[in-house]
Amino acid sequence: MRTVTCYCGWFLGLILLVGLLSAHSVGAATRIESDTIFRVFQRDTAAEEDATVFPVYEYLQIDTGELEDYGVSFHLYGWGRADLVDSEYFEDPTAGELLYGYVEYRADANQYGLRLGRQHVFEGVANETVDGLRLSGNLGDYFSLSVYGGQPVGLNAVQGSDGDSIVGGRLAHHNGSKYEIGVSFKASENDGETAEEMMGVDLALSLPSDLRLSGYSTYNQESEDWAEQSWELRVPLGRFTLKPYYQQFSYEDYFAAGANAVNPFLLLAQSTEELTAYGVDALYQYNSSWNFGCKVKQYAYDELDAAQTYSVLAAWQGENRTQYGAEIGRTAAGDTADNDYTLVRVYGYSEAAGGRLGMDFLSGDVLLAQYDEEIYGTDSSVFASFGGGKRFMGDALSVKLSGDYSQDPYFDKDIRGTLTVSYNFAQ
Amino acid sequence: MAKKRIIFSILTLLTILLLVAACTGLQSKYEPPARHPSAEDLDEQPKVCTNCHDARGEYVAYENYVHTADWGLNHRRQAYQGEAICAMCHQTSFCSDCHATGIELKPSLKNQSETYRPMQHRGDYLSRHRIDGKMDPTSCFRCHGNPKSAETCVRCHG
Repeated sequence: MRTVTCYCGWFLGLILLVGLLSAHSVGAATRIESDTIFRVFQRDTAAEEDATVFPVYEYLQIDTGELEDYGVSFHLYGWGRADLVDSEYFEDPTAGELLYGYVEYRADANQYGLRLGRQHVFEGVANETVDGLRLSGNLGDYFSLSVYGGQPVGLNAVQGSDGDSIVGGRLAHHNGSKYEIGVSFKASENDGETAEEMMGVDLALSLPSDLRLSGYSTYNQESEDWAEQSWELRVPLGRFTLKPYYQQFSYEDYFAAGANAVNPFLLLAQSTEELTAYGVDALYQYNSSWNFGCKVKQYAYDELDAAQTYSVLAAWQGENRTQYGAEIGRTAAGDTADNDYTLVRVYGYSEAAGGRLGMDFLSGDVLLAQYDEEIYGTDSSVFASFGGGKRFMGDALSVKLSGDYSQDPYFDKDIRGTLTVSYNFAQ
Repeated sequence: MAKKRIIFSILTLLTILLLVAACTGLQSKYEPPARHPSAEDLDEQPKVCTNCHDARGEYVAYENYVHTADWGLNHRRQAYQGEAICAMCHQTSFCSDCHATGIELKPSLKNQSETYRPMQHRGDYLSRHRIDGKMDPTSCFRCHGNPKSAETCVRCHG
C-alpha cells in the first residue's frame, strides 16, 4: 500500500511538472499508442482441466512534449492484464506494470540529457530498471559521462523498496569512429544489504584493414574477481563477414551471491564452475536481398564435459518488412543437460501476399525440434503459427489476428488465438 | 549506514551534475539529430546504414549499426555505446518489449506476427530451456537475473 502511494506520488509530481513545462514548449506534440491484445487458450487449473483462459492485455504508451527535436518531454509505457473469465490460471486475476515513466530533457549541445522517473538504464555493467535520476552528456569531443541513482525496480519484489538503492555510471573516452573505451560502475543494495557491486570495461577499436575489435569485461567487487569476459573481432572479407569471439564466465562472480541472489541462479552463484565459450559467426551478404549465415560455438567447462552448437541460416528480404527465412541448428549439450536437440525454423512475413487475401500482411512460422532423449515421453515438438492483419484510418488503426498450434512434451495439442488491436494517435 | 550511503550518493550525483553543467561549455563537434530522416524524406526505407553512410564515418562507425541477421542477439555493446544512434529510429518502448523489468507476456507472444524478428523464446521454449539453461545459464541471467524478473522462473524453480 505504501509502495502504491509512493508511485502515485511520483506520477502526480511528474505529470504536474510536465504539464507546467510542456505548456511553454514550442512545437510540443502528443503521441499515444495503444495495443489491446486478446488471447485465448486452455490450461489445467486447480478448479478444472482444460479451463478456457481469456486474458486481455492493454499496452499503453504516451509521449508528449518535444518529441521530434531537443527539449522537454514526458514518456510513459506500461501494461495491464485482466482475465475476462476468471479462470484461476493466473495467480492474480488482474496485474500490471509500469515499464517506464519519466520526464526527459535533451539539449542539442553536447547530447546533454536528464531523465527523472522510472527508466531502463542500459550501459556498461548496468541493465536495470531504475526509479530515479539519470544525467548524461558529452564532455567536449573526447569524453562522455553518465551517472544515475535511485531505487532498482528489480529488487522491490523482495520486501518492497525500503532500503533498496542503486548508483552507477559510465565514463567513456572516444575519438570519433576510431575507438571508444568506457569504464562503468554499479552498486546496489537490497533491504540495506549489498546486492551487487560491479565494475566494467568496454572497448570498440577500429583496426587497419577494416578490422574491428570490441568487447567488455566485468569485475565483481564483492567477490573480488572477474565475472565476465566477452570479446569479438569483426573481419570483413568482401561480402563475407567473420566474427570470431571469446567469452569466459566465472559462475561464483557472475551470478552474484549477495542480496540480489535469486533462484534458479543462487546455486550457480555458490558453484566454482567456469564456462569458456568460443566460436565464430560467418555472414554472407549475397546481394541486397539474400543473406546467409553460419554459426559454430564451443562451450568448455571446468567441471562438466564440453558442449557445442551449430546452425546455418538463409534469409531473403523484399520490400518493406517482407522477409522469408530458414534456419537449422544442432545443440549438442552432452553431459551438461543429458540431451541434445536439432531445431528447424522456417518463417515468412509478407506484405505482398497479404493483399491477395484482403489483408495488409500475412505472417507465419514453423519450428520443429527433435530431442535425442525423450522429455516426458515425447522426443519432438512442433510449433506453427499463422496470422494476418489489416490497417485502417491511414495506418492509425491495425487489427491483427493470429493462431498458433503446439504439440510438445508439455502439451499434447495446444491451440492459442491472439487478436491485437493497435491504435496510434499523434498530434 | 544505508542512509549515509544514500546521502553520499546524492551528493556525488549533484557534484557530478555541476561538473557536467560546467563542462557543457566544451562544445562537441558532432551532435546527432534527434530523429533520423524518415522514409518519406529519403524516398526509401532507411534500412541499411552503410547504403548511405561510410562504414567508418568521421564520428560514427556506421558499420556497427547495420542490422545483420544476428543483430537481435548481438546488439548489446552498440546499444549502450551509441544510445543516441539507436534513439534516432527506435522508441524506448521498442526496447522495453524485451529489456524491461516486469514483463508477463514474452516478446514472441506480444509480437506474435513479427516472425522476421528472431526471438529467443519462440515456440516450445519450455522444453528447449531445460537444455539451453544448463548449457549456458548466463544467457538466462541477462534478463531473468533479479528477484522481480525471476518471478517467471520461481514458479517451477523454487
